[in-house]
Amino acid sequence: MSDALLPLLIALPLLAGIFPLLLGLRFERAGWPVAMTASLTVAVLAGWLAWAVSPWSGGPQRFVHDLAGYPAPYGIELVGDGLSAILALLISVVAVAVLIYGRTTGPQTNAFYSGYLLLTGGLLGMALTGDLFNLFVFLEIVGLVSYALIASSDDGRAAYGALKYLFLGTTGASLYLIGVGYALVATGTLNMGDMATELAAVGYTDPLVQAAFGFILIGFMLKIAIFPLHTWQPDAYTYAPDTVSAFISALVSTTAAYALIRIAYDVFTVDFFAANPLITDAVLLVASVSIVVGSLLALLQTELKRVFAYSSVAQFGMILAAIGLQSETALFGAVIHLVGHGLMKATLFMGAGVLASAYGAQTVADYAGLAKRAPITSGMMAVAGLALVGIPPSIGTLGKWFIALGAVEEGSWGVAAVIFISTLLTLTYIGRLLETLYFNQPATTDDETGVVGDAGDATDDGSIVADGGDTERATAGIDDVAPVATERIVVVVVLALSTVALFGAAGLFAEFLDPVFGRFFQ
Amino acid sequence: MSSDRSADGDAEGTITRQRPIYTESQVIMTTVKVVIPFVLTYGLFITFHGTSSPGGGFQGGALIASVVLMIAFAFGIESTRAWLSNTLVVGLGTVGVAIFAAIALIPMALGGDFLEYTAYYPVLGDTLGLKEYEFVKYGMEAVEIGGIAFIVSGVLMGLFFALAAGFTPADLDVTGAASDAPTDEAVGDDASNAATDATGEVDAE
Repeated sequence: MSDALLPLLIALPLLAGIFPLLLGLRFERAGWPVAMTASLTVAVLAGWLAWAVSPWSGGPQRFVHDLAGYPAPYGIELVGDGLSAILALLISVVAVAVLIYGRTTGPQTNAFYSGYLLLTGGLLGMALTGDLFNLFVFLEIVGLVSYALIASSDDGRAAYGALKYLFLGTTGASLYLIGVGYALVATGTLNMGDMATELAAVGYTDPLVQAAFGFILIGFMLKIAIFPLHTWQPDAYTYAPDTVSAFISALVSTTAAYALIRIAYDVFTVDFFAANPLITDAVLLVASVSIVVGSLLALLQTELKRVFAYSSVAQFGMILAAIGLQSETALFGAVIHLVGHGLMKATLFMGAGVLASAYGAQTVADYAGLAKRAPITSGMMAVAGLALVGIPPSIGTLGKWFIALGAVEEGSWGVAAVIFISTLLTLTYIGRLLETLYFNQPATTDDETGVVGDAGDATDDGSIVADGGDTERATAGIDDVAPVATERIVVVVVLALSTVALFGAAGLFAEFLDPVFGRFFQ
Repeated sequence: MSSDRSADGDAEGTITRQRPIYTESQVIMTTVKVVIPFVLTYGLFITFHGTSSPGGGFQGGALIASVVLMIAFAFGIESTRAWLSNTLVVGLGTVGVAIFAAIALIPMALGGDFLEYTAYYPVLGDTLGLKEYEFVKYGMEAVEIGGIAFIVSGVLMGLFFALAAGFTPADLDVTGAASDAPTDEAVGDDASNAATDATGEVDAE
């Protein structure tokens, strides 16, 4: 019976996606309640799935649902196991969080909420499918809705970012499709489980199989935004509305990385890496370069959202490195880091969004002294930022620790060194943010803004609690403060605390992932 | 008729969007009047041939939408939009998804798998007088017609109207295109509706 959860998890948000539009014909503000109801239902279903695949339910830890009743090699199957359940839970929880955050901000058209639900459905589809072509379809759904959502800002630059993403994202999806085509020619099947056995029969050193993996890898590297192929990502994350940047940065690349893990280890398996040392080395090299260059580029940025965007390039480089290491420990770390990175980036982008709408802060310099004026949000951004560096206790520590441990176990000292260096670089750019937030004095504004600020002061003096903290004006002539809804700050707090709380969840992750990794590393 | 003419931008180099001006042409109107019934019939023909012979909801839906496009070119886009109404365009796309989802989800309520058409057999077999294997064919047909053809035609019409209406960014609006202001919001909504609908189309495929 639990296998019925799998199609429901995908179909429900996709079906709910029509109601904001349909009800929007009659009601102006139908979108948010519909999206919230659907997202909460999906979260409950995802929780149920997670419980069903956990060892405590006593049932099987892997569910398969044959669509239309056709059996596996011919029909399309949906698969739920520990790994996909973790992803489904992450997607649904972040979807609810971002929706709460976005109630008063972000694009509030009904079309936006339709797109939001379609994106949730597409991501869940990517997480739960067991068919390579089906994965492509969901990849395209996710891609198309992402482009639309990024462009939903009124800013013309958002349209530019979305267009760039459209060109590169479509190229990535096409490369993936070409790879799947090669694999289909080599094996004659599209089902993941079936293809794993067929690939072993064809031989892992067959040029067709190598080419298939190469295309799939490059396609996903574009989607994940690994260093030389990351160019769409900073513009897309920076110019999208805050709600959308938080959602997309937390989930889209994450799910693509999950799909790469799934294909690399469930379809091509570790034996493929063992048989092709050149490909393995290339993966590790590209990943290492991405880690270092991503961190350095993040260090060079002035706009805060752009810092976080480049930081994602580095963090996903780390996950790609873990994929190339063929180590169970490292892959365990990679999955934890996927979840952790999603939560941390969601917190950081949301925190940046709160401060941007309250104080108009865009560049790192704009954040000077904001810790005094917005202690809660700044504090939570600091927590998430330090988690990103890997300071214990946080989920960031766990992920990095296990990836680095895996690298050491495998004797890849280069990768271990790169992770160490990247931690220092992460500390540098997060440290720069923290220094600005807590220790720098806000720059005195020039005359023009001073006048605007005074006008604002006159009208809303002391009446606005921007951050639940002290509203005393430290200096005269600071810009006026726009009110920020309380629930936006609450969401940031909850997510930031979750990154800390999950420090103790290594055992929990292991319970979920052991059966899956048992299959990956036979 | 030609209400969608907009300001050509101010003198100082700011370029605003130029929209085509509708010209009434007896040749085009007569041709379209003659051609439309055939195109619509052909579209329906292709749609109904979704399962057992070449054709399908996607191609058929596109042809049906092209009928509306032709009417719009011949008789003016704005008047066609008013004639067709936003409700119909949005309704086609969304109801199509709802029908598709219903056909897919009801078998699960009946104890079968997602999209398992034969699960309808014990319930509807006697009423419809169909054999079990025929349910696969007609189930697929129902998805093609009620799901995909609806969605594709609705989305294509929506995209066409959204593109034809154009989009005037807020910061360009101050330059003198103020006459557009009343329609602007509806237009922006349409554009993003269409964008998200387009993804529903992929899903339907």
